[in-house]
Amino acid sequence: MSYGLALIYGVLKIINLANAGFLMLGAYVTWWLFTAYHVDPLLAPLVIIPVFFLIGVGLERTLVRRVLGSEPIISLLLLFGVWLVLQNLAYVIWTGDTRSIENSFIESTVKLGGLQLSIPRLYVFAMGVLSLIALQLFLTRTYLGRAIRATAQDRDAARLVGVDVDRVMGIAFGIGIALAGFGGSLLSLLFSFTPDFGRVLSLKSFCIVVLGGLDSIVGVAFGSVALAIAEAFGVRYMPASMQDLISFVVLVVVLVALPKGIVGTLRSLRRG
Amino acid sequence: MARNGAFAAIAIAALVAVPFVAPHAEYALDVLFLIFLYGAMATAWNLVGGFAGQVSFGHAAFLGIGAYATAIMTQNGISLWISVPVSALLAGAYSLVIGIPAFRLRGPYFSIATIGIGEATRLIARNWSSLTGGVSGLTLSSAPPLLLQYFAALALLVAAVGLAAWIRASRFGYALAAVRQDTDAAETLGVATTVAKTQALFLSACILGVAGSVYALHYLFVSPDSVFGFSTSIALVIMPIIGGLGTVTGPLIGAVIYTFIREQLAATLANVDLLAFGVLLIAIVVFEPRGILGIADRIRRMRKPPAVTVPDG
Repeated sequence: MSYGLALIYGVLKIINLANAGFLMLGAYVTWWLFTAYHVDPLLAPLVIIPVFFLIGVGLERTLVRRVLGSEPIISLLLLFGVWLVLQNLAYVIWTGDTRSIENSFIESTVKLGGLQLSIPRLYVFAMGVLSLIALQLFLTRTYLGRAIRATAQDRDAARLVGVDVDRVMGIAFGIGIALAGFGGSLLSLLFSFTPDFGRVLSLKSFCIVVLGGLDSIVGVAFGSVALAIAEAFGVRYMPASMQDLISFVVLVVVLVALPKGIVGTLRSLRRG
Repeated sequence: MARNGAFAAIAIAALVAVPFVAPHAEYALDVLFLIFLYGAMATAWNLVGGFAGQVSFGHAAFLGIGAYATAIMTQNGISLWISVPVSALLAGAYSLVIGIPAFRLRGPYFSIATIGIGEATRLIARNWSSLTGGVSGLTLSSAPPLLLQYFAALALLVAAVGLAAWIRASRFGYALAAVRQDTDAAETLGVATTVAKTQALFLSACILGVAGSVYALHYLFVSPDSVFGFSTSIALVIMPIIGGLGTVTGPLIGAVIYTFIREQLAATLANVDLLAFGVLLIAIVVFEPRGILGIADRIRRMRKPPAVTVPDG
């Protein structure tokens, strides 16, 4: 889910506050498909990814495009509005009750050399790594991926060499939203959720993305690991209810101290 | 300017008269009280978010500190004459603690950091049980009479709007406008941008601190999820945007609309009000980022033949 955020930021130079909303929506759609139509939660992404992609493209075409030229704060507020709508729509449709997905797969574990490992956790981890690899390949090996990166680097120059920048931005936004939905769907396997689900996680995504460097996919992976370690260690020294506090503190500290992120800071150190 | 002053004087006189003309219309007084309180809070937010263009999603932190400070001091029998100013100063002091690092960030990064700061503050309030009573919050036993609350909120509103009007016309206000339009250019021209932003945040936090006091004494109950809650921060963002970002009267118009929509919709279904505000926010940002005042301005221009247009600062 953090990759989606990095992608949208890199290409459109806007910060997608609505990410949290789509993350939550991904979890709810998975739950809804499972309870209403008995669709296996593992298959839900097959529906979510294309649908969310189309929603993302549509959102970019209808709303986001109109504010791209104005101050960054305007697009931030617009997506904040989208998030408010999504979140409260979810409250109205699904109420604020905590939902969770329960089936045999969710509770299954595997023994690995004396360690009891939860299969869903392994699965989510594997999917996270796979999607990272797939995204990296897409961005470096395909024409469209390269066009997205070119647009991210310099919109005007990309247009000069014949990239259909408008189309690329729509697609990048769509991919970002699809990744948020996919992330939400995966997370619904691990956690129970409410319409407020995305907020804390989305802040963590911001934290991760900033930690890693705002436009680097590899940096995002670094950021995830760093935050996870900080949280895991932090819990040993303070109550679990304070765990989320760590992310926020890390977020603020990193924003202030390392605005270029780990990768960016390393890069400038190497150069300097 | 003189016309605005006269208009404001008449409006204040009318609002002072309301409780005497209709002493038994408690619901109406209650709604007016809320409008004053929200109006003052929105005006305070607007000093930073509108005038200086630094959109904060964590302003509930200041309201919460003011509310908790007053609640704790009142429980310990400290007079309101002491506890209210102390609440304001505590909120102001907190704004310096977070403002000095956070203002190293520009625009959207600052906004994201404020979400983190607001949430961190809420979590601290939840977990620091010995001081804040934890999740269950603090309860006060007796409220000042409604009339006193009404005038306190009105006085706070008048002070906040007066401060905003004064800042807007002052050198300080121009410095903030310069920060909003182009921070680098402002810095080049000799504006101490970080100092200006921090001062605006300090004033904003002090007003919110007093608003927190009024809040605590009105509801007699403060909990981390109410005063420090994210929805409070959201309300503070929405009101000035609905009315008109960076104007003096905009936050007031926003507060009136916000209070009415909330009163109408909150009774029907939970969260329908926030849904409506989300739609409103999108519509305003896409079609008229200057809010209701921007729309009014357009209508006025349509009726008058276009003269020389003066860009507003």
